[in-house]
Amino acid sequence: MFALALPMSVLAALMLATILFGFFGIIFKQNLMMKIIAMDVMSTGVIAYYVLVAARTGWATPIVSGVPPGAYADPVPQAVILTAIVIGFSIQALMLVGVMKLARDNPTLESREIEKSSTP
Amino acid sequence: MSLLSLAANLPAASPDAAPQEWVMLTLVWIALPLLAGFSVALWPRLGRYLALFIALLSLSYGVGQWLQPLPQTLQLLDNFGVLLQIDDLSVQFIWLNSLVLAAVVIYCWPSSKRAFFYTQMIILHGSINAVFICADFISLYVALEVIGIAAFLLIAYPRSNRAIWVSLRYLFVSNTAMLFYLVGVILVYQAHGSFAFSGLLGAPVEATALIFLGLLTKAGVFISGLWLPLTYAEADPPVSAMLSGVVGKAGVFPLVRCALMVEEVAPILLSLSLGTVLLGVTYAILEQDARRLLAVSSISQVGFVLVAPAAAGFYALSHGLAKAALFLAAGNLPSRDLVKLRSQPLSPQLWSVLALGSLSISGFPLLSGFGAKAMTLKQLSGWAEIAMTVAAVGTAIAFAKFLFLPVQWGRADPQTQPQTQPQTQPQTETPAAPAQLQPGFWGAMVVLIGGLFAANGLHLELYTVNDLTKALVIIAGGWLAYGLVFRHLQVALPRVVEEFENLIGVMSLVLVGLFWLAIQQNLGPVL
Repeated sequence: MFALALPMSVLAALMLATILFGFFGIIFKQNLMMKIIAMDVMSTGVIAYYVLVAARTGWATPIVSGVPPGAYADPVPQAVILTAIVIGFSIQALMLVGVMKLARDNPTLESREIEKSSTP
Repeated sequence: MSLLSLAANLPAASPDAAPQEWVMLTLVWIALPLLAGFSVALWPRLGRYLALFIALLSLSYGVGQWLQPLPQTLQLLDNFGVLLQIDDLSVQFIWLNSLVLAAVVIYCWPSSKRAFFYTQMIILHGSINAVFICADFISLYVALEVIGIAAFLLIAYPRSNRAIWVSLRYLFVSNTAMLFYLVGVILVYQAHGSFAFSGLLGAPVEATALIFLGLLTKAGVFISGLWLPLTYAEADPPVSAMLSGVVGKAGVFPLVRCALMVEEVAPILLSLSLGTVLLGVTYAILEQDARRLLAVSSISQVGFVLVAPAAAGFYALSHGLAKAALFLAAGNLPSRDLVKLRSQPLSPQLWSVLALGSLSISGFPLLSGFGAKAMTLKQLSGWAEIAMTVAAVGTAIAFAKFLFLPVQWGRADPQTQPQTQPQTQPQTETPAAPAQLQPGFWGAMVVLIGGLFAANGLHLELYTVNDLTKALVIIAGGWLAYGLVFRHLQVALPRVVEEFENLIGVMSLVLVGLFWLAIQQNLGPVL
């Protein structure tokens, strides 16, 4: 596996870069739909970072069984990020519903245009 | 019965561990609003009754806790688990939350708001309560995200294009900030193996910067709060009252709690709160739109809450009550434009509510705003005290705009108003709204303004000659400055900073600033 061969710090840098790419996507993409996707990229980076932190102690799944315990992954960040994934997904769904509604009157979904027409 | 099993699994090791019945009560109190919120979907007619019931329940819980020995802490499951803590600070925030919900429900009582509206109100209330007693970053994250979703749905409730855009913008900004927050949280966990607030000390500096970015954006502090004027001004008046009264406080509370737990955090908050107070006051003095003025004044008042963590609870209570009352009253003004309002006399009833709210925020004696301001200023010294006093004068200037609006004394019957006004003001866009206020409005005002008077009674020891003179001089100075200079001043500030992309972009600047501030305080190692 390629990913395993990379040192932790390189992986962390890649994940933080993903977060930054998402962040800049939110700013520089014109289309509202693309902005939402950029936000998803950002949250993917965050999730990956949690998984990486969970893996700092090992890779094995922590399941109680007869097998003697090895170096297992920290289950706490994984459990926490599972919550965050669910929340992120529901927020994304809500945003897409909002965008669907806006698309009726602004078919191009350009955020500048929407902003101009809907701010007093 | 997972609640029971949760409570049964409690480790009884902690020295100030709470008694079992308290634990049960707290868990029920947290869970019940969520249950009630979803029940409203099944029994739509119960909506407003359940909402009012939940508000009263929270109020009695808050009062009950106040009579108990505090603080109480509660660790659910394990040291990875949920840490709850209730102290004097939480109690005052809980009072605020329940009073504002009660007022808003009474205000909406005669209106035809659908069950969906009350569902969101109740869920919003419940998750804000959760923020006010939690002491670990993950419970806080979940609660803040639920608040974000519920607030989004409430702002979007009218379903006009503008409402949807404003709410989408709100959710976008808050969710992006919370993603940064999550990165900070995992850094705290990596350093300590726990999510408790106290872990800020010793965690990498980046963690503090990232977590604070999230919380500052949620609370609407300094330039991270520039999303707030448009959102508060365009939402429905009852929703604005909730947003400004309590939703903003959900971001403030964890900041204050962190400052009380970790001493090194307080100086960071001090400089941020001075920044936000002066920024908000400058905006508020120059603003000519009634609802935007209230919104930007929230940016400055948040600074007053944060600047002295020891007085934060009382200040937040006073500000939340007064601001909610003002937002509800401003929703009934015949026009939003303060310049137009100067040529359009108000009814004495509406004016008196505006005046009481404005006086409390300016720190006038007999209302709790006085005690809050006196208590806050007492905690400060040196240049911070000078800056806050200047800001207090600025607040008095901004709210003088409401106080000195013309009032139609004597002619009480509202029928004459619509007839006279179109003659004097033929070009008004809105035909002079009927001055008839709904009964729900008065019920809400009894709760909020009554709360302001009652809260004033909590700290009677602050009524010293020294503080009274100071407050009166500040207010008189503000009014004088308003009459001489600012009444005639009309400067429109550019709104380019409030554009969506700038709101997101500003986060990177705030992050750099916070990082720099955190390094100064030696909070922990740099990654």
